[in-house]
Amino acid sequence: MSIVANLLAMLVMPIVIVGTINRVKARWSGRVGPPIFQLAFDLYRLARKTSVYSKVTTPVFRLGPQVVLVTAIASACIVPLAGTESLVAFPFDFVWFAYVWSLGRVALVIGALDTGSSFEGMGASREATFATLLEPVLFLVAGALCLHARVRTFEEALVPHLDGPSALLMWIAAIAALMVIIQVEAARMPVDDPSTHLELTMVHEVMILDHSGIELAMLQLASAIKMYVAISVTAMLLDPLAGEASVVAMAAHFGICIAIAIVLGLVESLIARLKLRVVPQYIVIGLIAAGIALLSMLGRGGHA
Amino acid sequence: MVGSGLFLASIPVLLIGVVLAGGLRTNRARGLAALASQVIASALVITSVTPIFLGYGPLEVTWAWPVPIERIAFRIDALGAFFLVWSLPMTALGTLYSLGYLQPYFARGRNGGPHFALLNLTSLSFVLIYSVQNALVFLLGWEIAAVAAWLLVIWDYRNQRIRFAGFNYLVSTHVGLFVLVAAFMLLHSYTASMDFADFGTYLHGHPSGRGTVFLLLGVSFALKSAFFPFHTWLPRAHAAAPAHVSALMSGVIHKAGLFAFLRFTLLAGKPEVWMGWAVLIFGAASAVFGVLYTATQRDLKRMLGYSSTENVGIASMAFGVGMLGWAWSDPALATLGFGGGLLHVLNHAFFKCSLFYAAGAIYRATHTIDLERLGGLARRLPKTAVFFGLGALAMCALPPFNGFVSEFLLYSGLLSGSAPTIEGDVVLVCAAAVLAFVGAVGALSVSRAFGLAFLGTPRDSSIHVGEDVPSSMAIPMAAHTIGILVLGLFPTAALAIIDPVLDLFPIATAGVPDLSSVLSPVVWACRGLALALGVSMLFAWRRRAGSRESVTWGCGYTAGNARMQYTGGSFSAQLSTLFRPALPVLTRERLPTEPFPTHASHLSTNHVDAVEQRMFEVIGQGERFVQDTSARIPEQPRFAFAAGLLALVVVALVAIGEVL
Repeated sequence: MSIVANLLAMLVMPIVIVGTINRVKARWSGRVGPPIFQLAFDLYRLARKTSVYSKVTTPVFRLGPQVVLVTAIASACIVPLAGTESLVAFPFDFVWFAYVWSLGRVALVIGALDTGSSFEGMGASREATFATLLEPVLFLVAGALCLHARVRTFEEALVPHLDGPSALLMWIAAIAALMVIIQVEAARMPVDDPSTHLELTMVHEVMILDHSGIELAMLQLASAIKMYVAISVTAMLLDPLAGEASVVAMAAHFGICIAIAIVLGLVESLIARLKLRVVPQYIVIGLIAAGIALLSMLGRGGHA
Repeated sequence: MVGSGLFLASIPVLLIGVVLAGGLRTNRARGLAALASQVIASALVITSVTPIFLGYGPLEVTWAWPVPIERIAFRIDALGAFFLVWSLPMTALGTLYSLGYLQPYFARGRNGGPHFALLNLTSLSFVLIYSVQNALVFLLGWEIAAVAAWLLVIWDYRNQRIRFAGFNYLVSTHVGLFVLVAAFMLLHSYTASMDFADFGTYLHGHPSGRGTVFLLLGVSFALKSAFFPFHTWLPRAHAAAPAHVSALMSGVIHKAGLFAFLRFTLLAGKPEVWMGWAVLIFGAASAVFGVLYTATQRDLKRMLGYSSTENVGIASMAFGVGMLGWAWSDPALATLGFGGGLLHVLNHAFFKCSLFYAAGAIYRATHTIDLERLGGLARRLPKTAVFFGLGALAMCALPPFNGFVSEFLLYSGLLSGSAPTIEGDVVLVCAAAVLAFVGAVGALSVSRAFGLAFLGTPRDSSIHVGEDVPSSMAIPMAAHTIGILVLGLFPTAALAIIDPVLDLFPIATAGVPDLSSVLSPVVWACRGLALALGVSMLFAWRRRAGSRESVTWGCGYTAGNARMQYTGGSFSAQLSTLFRPALPVLTRERLPTEPFPTHASHLSTNHVDAVEQRMFEVIGQGERFVQDTSARIPEQPRFAFAAGLLALVVVALVAIGEVL
């Protein structure tokens, strides 16, 4: 059952999450907003369009989107998407998770450089730079969670164990760090603005300026999947029923994911995008939170 | 006995190759003779060491020899065999590559004989270093490797910059040699022997002497393998040398430093905990600084050179984890550390050689490796682009390529939470985060290098792009790329030669999960990923029909040109601003001052090596001090001053002698 639930969640939830965020933003600004499943319609429309390639590009540009999509799906297999267990779990699978994301990022970055456009080069440079600060955050959080629970797989580490004050501190810090990861990796406000597609975009969206047709659909789907994966990781920590294989637990997990999406939508409605120079500092906040999560282990004393 | 005979036969075979390379009439014949002798020697060595991997025990031979050596003991155990089994074939591939790479020089009448002979001597130095048990003969092999590498580097000796780079390397490597000699003298004074076995007996019993020897050897091997902050010779030498020499130095020759480190770690027995931490932290520093420098280089080969510093750093982080595991009597951690480190050494040899060969192919086609001037080479050099691309992905440890597998073992050690104290665990997790940072910066560097050189449009229209590689250069690249793919998807093949090395460490391995079972799930995940990527790309290929072509979208601006593309400097500008203290920028500028400037203005920025800059500053200050002081001494009585100083030193020494 959990396999089916995971696959269904991978298909449906990314679209729902994007729809929810857009609906929240629309409601906040007094509009009705698009349907929740608008992304699915967009993807369908894009997939039927003919692709337009720049004359400058090489096959690297055309292959990039498939790599990004495959890596997004591969990373989704490691995470318990329905709050129960993940499709695949092995010791230190979160290392694989991080490097698979990194592979997708490299594919996107070199695809952007392939167009020879200064705009896309700019976005590529920023994406790669922010990743250098973001990557340690994930390892510090995952390492702290693994040390705390004395487990080795992502799905076990994400089940919260709130035993004592230091564990509570770690839990809060880990969630704060994961929120930063969601915002940077999914290119959301206040790091990047996903709703503009021209010069105002700074990081992720500017790299996909030249993609069109099914390639653009793949990239949008991949980024929705990545966002759901990151949200799902955070939701596991917030979920008191995490790890249980019941319909109620799954419903709770999906509910928490949608709640996080609502929070993200509210953040995007209330906060303007940060200045580019400030973004590294914002990521460093996540790094500090992750460091606190790890250092709170020292508060437990002794050895588990 | 047959095995050791076969092994030693490789020495005369290589020497015959040296003679033939010097004596034959044409460059082609010289090169082929050297290549043939290296292939035969590789076959001999591989045949003779295979039984060691199958568990038949080490090969041992002892030769009587006149004083001062007295006897030469050869003993090839699994550790030496591990290094031999890929060093010699890779050198042979490098020789094959040189046949194509040096062709333009040969066409102008240059004699390649000495170059081929030196490549043979490099192979010979491996045979000596990885097998002898005698400190003097070890030093001989060490010195052959160093001097041969120097002479190989200055192939293009008419260029003053290249001579300087070679001299810089020669001095650095000999500073390392002095420290190594000091360590051996110290050991000799304790043991009255030059035999490694006697060294081992001494080191086992004397923890106090062991610390000093550890530090001396550590510095020497760090200079050999170009660890931070002993790396200053490396970017210059790698940028100056012919591509195959850079490849062999980075991928193969300087692994001797890591070999020697492991050899003495084994001899010294169970390490102290501080040694493990020292190696881990030292390795982490090398990895971080090495990778930060890769992100800002203009020169592709300099960038690859800095990446060697990064990768030996990663390997020695793994060895540090292994030593900690050994010191804590935790065989699982020791296996992960040493196994991961050895696998990384092998992986690095594969992808780094491939990358340097590809850089050489770029240089041969365009006569430059300045990333700011290249661009769009993927269309002109498609084979090279594929080889470089795959090597680059392996270099930043991305799955499903080989670099990832060894780093995964290291991560498994760092994140396993097996330190005896919680503080230790926390530090190990921090080291894992550092490694993640290194991986991410590495990803930035390789995207930058690949994107600038191969993608986009050519940045400098004055560069004429020649032919793609001839087969003599394509075969070595293809061989290394196959290695990258095979080791990434089937690392068990490499574990067959790594597991026997791990058995040398006297730690109880009963009940410890072996490396293949640790790797099995992640390797299956990599295979799944590779399959998915392959299938999706096949679909992408089929989709090509029916697409349209247009110009790159310029956001409304229609007169975009190649000079407007993102450059290497701008790509890494933000990162280098974030890490400014480690990445100093040298700016040369002459900016316009008045509204109608009458002189031409220019601005150039260059990322220089912080350590080298500081070193030259200090040396410069020292020189100035000597100049100032000697300027104060009057011209004529300088002799009297020197004599007086000498007398003072003698008196002081005598006085000290009296007191003692």
